[in-house]
Amino acid sequence: MSKYLQKQADLQKEFDEKPSSLKGDYAQKEWWEMPVEFREGNFCFPAKPEVIEELGFPNPRKWSVTEEDWQLPEGWQKTLMEGMRERIKKYRSLKLYLDSCVRCGACADKCHFFLGTGDPKNMPVLRAELVRSVYRGDFPVVEKILKGFAGSRRLTKEVLREWYMYFYQCTECRRCSVFCPMGIDTAEITIMVREILQLVGLNNNWILAPVANCNRTGNHLGIEPHTFVQNIESLVDDIEELTGVTVNPTFNRKGAEILFITPSGDVFGDPGVYTMMGYMLLFEHIGLDYTISTYASEGGNFGFFTSNDMMRKLNAKMYHEAERLGVKWILGGECGHMWRVVHQYMSTMNGPANFLEEPVSPITGTKFSNAKATKMVHIAEFTADLIHNNKLKLDPKRNDHLRTTFHDSCNVARGMGMFEEPRYVLRKVCNSFHEMPENTIREQTFCCGSGSGINAEENMTMRMKGGFPRANAVRHVREKHQVDSLVTICAIDRASLPPLMRYWNPGVSVYGLHELVGNALVMDGEKKRTEDLREDPMTGFDDKGDDVD
Amino acid sequence: MSITWERIVLENRETILHRWHKRGLDLFSGKMAPGTPLSEAFADAMGMIIDGFDEDGDFCREGVLRMARILALHPFRPSQSMSLFLELLVILREFAPDGEDIGVCRERVERITLYAFDSFVEHREKIYQLKVEESRSAMHMQLRRGRS
Repeated sequence: MSKYLQKQADLQKEFDEKPSSLKGDYAQKEWWEMPVEFREGNFCFPAKPEVIEELGFPNPRKWSVTEEDWQLPEGWQKTLMEGMRERIKKYRSLKLYLDSCVRCGACADKCHFFLGTGDPKNMPVLRAELVRSVYRGDFPVVEKILKGFAGSRRLTKEVLREWYMYFYQCTECRRCSVFCPMGIDTAEITIMVREILQLVGLNNNWILAPVANCNRTGNHLGIEPHTFVQNIESLVDDIEELTGVTVNPTFNRKGAEILFITPSGDVFGDPGVYTMMGYMLLFEHIGLDYTISTYASEGGNFGFFTSNDMMRKLNAKMYHEAERLGVKWILGGECGHMWRVVHQYMSTMNGPANFLEEPVSPITGTKFSNAKATKMVHIAEFTADLIHNNKLKLDPKRNDHLRTTFHDSCNVARGMGMFEEPRYVLRKVCNSFHEMPENTIREQTFCCGSGSGINAEENMTMRMKGGFPRANAVRHVREKHQVDSLVTICAIDRASLPPLMRYWNPGVSVYGLHELVGNALVMDGEKKRTEDLREDPMTGFDDKGDDVD
Repeated sequence: MSITWERIVLENRETILHRWHKRGLDLFSGKMAPGTPLSEAFADAMGMIIDGFDEDGDFCREGVLRMARILALHPFRPSQSMSLFLELLVILREFAPDGEDIGVCRERVERITLYAFDSFVEHREKIYQLKVEESRSAMHMQLRRGRS
């Protein structure tokens, strides 16, 4: 036996002594007495000190979540309480959400993390109660009289550990808010608590490193402009090899009509790159006058998971760049939180962008009046309008090798109410599309389990649990309709759903909507197509025979 | 599988499933409600095992695989997870007529448990595999950035 192997007696001792809600010792206890246990797979690594320093955030240091001492700064309780008071005063929504919950429990079983883990503190009502209990304790007289009845408590290190664990187990997806009769948006509470935790240096490297990169280079991956161009040019070569068509993107071109911005994952990550190829084929097909910026080279906004100020700053760069280039309006790619930021916050946070024009499609003449304030149009709306006006030559049979379903991305669905446009496009570009059960799509869509910056590999176990309700719905259509392709319009989904599918539904691949558009487009001067953008063979388009028309 | 055991499982399917499912949920904290997707997935998988109990077929194996996939994600010790399969024997024993040989049933449950153990370990490994794949992809990006 290896000398490193732990003795059975030691394992037993550890099991007996270590608190665990799974041992049933807590059945009769109150929720706040349940232990918080950080273990491998259920937390993300904290931000590295150099990243925190680069951003000028407080308390840069090397620390570990599993250690007892989190090296909090002197007076951390005062800092946090003042931070909370300041934000309650500044954001009326936060005060309203903290005050108005009646504990009806309508939200309890709506959270994918509760459904996947069974941990009561993942019920949105209890997650918010973690901070509400401290907020309530901030009124000394009330606390003195009602202590116990009111459920108030002091901000201790244990409470702080709870905050850190459970507010990074919320993906800010807002499914709970759909069911709340009081209209409480628990995601807003999570956003605020994460911002407050930043004040004492409690954060997550998977969020802050991209924020620092974006702040420095313009995209989450920290890619310099010349590499950004190189990568897109390599996709141009791939397109030419596959289709025989040369697409001509331009970079930083002043005077272009439209600035196109998409998440950088579409330029560098698999399978996002195929979606990027789809965009470029589409723009070539319609002869769009567009340019891509190598400075505002990121649609995503991890500032949204950090603080309001950082969100505003990262959002502003897109508009500054649009102004510098002198474009008329911005076309945005398939992204989740980019759209929530643009749709819900941009117009009052950085807007209105009056230096741009109200977006009008140069191909169809359609005026996108919904984007009057933000001057930014979603690519799914843009393409749906093109199809509706018969401006695209499409052959949906080119996607006959795929049996698809559609995953509504939380931010696009609940954050901006876009349900039908992507479905309209999908139905026009492929022949096999099956909806998942009604209570798992549109405004009731389940999160991928990895949104809001918790898509770190070290958090894999928690991601697989949180993504279980979504995976379960995919399993349903896989069994019923032999679905093998999950289509989505969010870059984080394209990064997080592949491992989720590999775990829960092996054999299901993840696609971006515009990848399928790119497959279906019949381009002028194209060579005979036998493979899709991934170089997978298309059904009925083999080299020997003619296309099946 | 003897005809008696087939009949016992068939006639008492719902009760057996109900009791086994309840014991499965007992593994989780007290708040795991029977109507949640996780609980339903557990019930479906258990139903598949019970329905395929009399043969060593794909249906039963699929049920075992689905249960192992769920269990592998939770922080239960392997022995604790596998004990759930052995619970089936305890439940079935309650329905056995006096004098009925339990050996054949035990042998079947043990075979299911061993298969479940393999599947459980495979899924724990898969979680690590997914982590490695993501790390590799992140490293690829770092190198690409470094080269530029």
